[in-house]
Amino acid sequence: MSTNFSDFFSLELVWKRIPELIKKIPITLELALFSFLVSIVVGLLIGVARYKKIKVLGSVATAFLSFMRGTPMLIQLYVAYYGIPAVLKIFNSWGANINVNLVPKLVYAFVALGLYQSAFTSETIRAALESVDKGEIEAGTAMGMTYPQIFRRVIIPEAIENALPGINNSIIGLIKGTSLASTCGIIEITYQNQILAGRDYRYLEGYVALAIIYWVITLILERVFKVVEKKTRIPEQPKELAEV
Amino acid sequence: MAILEIKGLSKKFNNNVVLDGIDLTINPGDIIGVVGPSGTGKSTLLRSINLLERPEEGSISFGELKLDLPLKGNGKKTVKELRMHMGMVFQRFNLFEHKTALANVMEGLITVQKKTKEEAREIALKELENVGLLEWQNHYPKHMSGGQQQRVAIARTLAMRPDIILLDEPTSALDPELVTEVLNIIKKVAEQGYTMLLVSHEMDFIKKISTRVLFLDGGKIIEDGSPREVFGNPKSARAREFFAKMNKLKEPDYII
Repeated sequence: MSTNFSDFFSLELVWKRIPELIKKIPITLELALFSFLVSIVVGLLIGVARYKKIKVLGSVATAFLSFMRGTPMLIQLYVAYYGIPAVLKIFNSWGANINVNLVPKLVYAFVALGLYQSAFTSETIRAALESVDKGEIEAGTAMGMTYPQIFRRVIIPEAIENALPGINNSIIGLIKGTSLASTCGIIEITYQNQILAGRDYRYLEGYVALAIIYWVITLILERVFKVVEKKTRIPEQPKELAEV
Repeated sequence: MAILEIKGLSKKFNNNVVLDGIDLTINPGDIIGVVGPSGTGKSTLLRSINLLERPEEGSISFGELKLDLPLKGNGKKTVKELRMHMGMVFQRFNLFEHKTALANVMEGLITVQKKTKEEAREIALKELENVGLLEWQNHYPKHMSGGQQQRVAIARTLAMRPDIILLDEPTSALDPELVTEVLNIIKKVAEQGYTMLLVSHEMDFIKKISTRVLFLDGGKIIEDGSPREVFGNPKSARAREFFAKMNKLKEPDYII
């Protein structure tokens, strides 16, 4: 009995697997997008609360942060998966009328992924806000600008430049994190691979195909980020000189 | 008629008294040089006048505006109004890094004085020309030398037409060869009739341009008079000692 290399691994099968997996890319991207929105909104809230040292909100945010960073994403997904229906049922027992079965599984996943990522995003945002030169804030204050004006016109533009690399990292983290949502029964590309491999037992080819897909998505995103980051940076060269 | 009246201004950092009941009356057109040893409250005095520092006690009056410290009631509103009458030039320029020279000068005109973009641009261009930086209008601060940045900062302050200009060691962060260009601009501004309060270690410059000199020590004004009086014939031993030291630094054979 001779063993053939293709018994263990067939590159051809990898290429065949890719188009079938790609069909579920919209779910993966949708999941990443919604979790990103959750993470950026919550991250902004926590980041600003901690930057401004708002009393109660700041301490709540710090506790939340510590929990989210100190527990695995997978565990948090399970907690959301079992926890959200439980909470809804409690609401129902108080007289609300929510059909728990109608809440899409997708919601559990992007709440969990989004909250997890928000912990990291909030720190990125806080650090970016804190890195803005205090002198510029003083200059604005001294000329009579209000704090909201300074925040919007001086702090934000600078903080965005500082925060973007970190936020872009978190988007990539979320793209990869969506693979964990398969454990919540969401058929995105990783779950799709499980299903397909269950039929022909070609797990290795399937996972290699998956790795390639995640990598390509990340590569494309990195290109986009490069362009966006360049746009927010102070140009190396001055704008065209005025004609005087 | 005084333009600004300060009474009993006191400020502590922790338990360290930095301003110890300062009384000061400023008249329109005064060019006041503030000198004294380091850590005697010169910068704190300036920063307290426009409330970048919060003194614990005292009062600041500007025309109809009167601010009693500590702040209460609608004190915050008064602070903002007070600031709109004052311009400040900082040691480290503090230009908005993400804005061009022109946008830096336009910023306060648009956000504080509610001028249209066109009006603001017109004023800003005039002020940049005034400091000799018209052709640098589209440059970002990081593309400019320290001296140029400070000149933009001065233009930014002048554009607001302040009644009083506070200059907090405007040349201390500059390379020696850039000091002159900034001092020349300040001299030009002084000649335009602005009221100024200038904290600086450039004694010769203060001697030349100021109409009045304050010598601060230990949070108190211990000398107040014309440059001739204060530099030429100081009353206090502390000031005499300080000026003697400053003069020693200038001797050609002085070696550290």
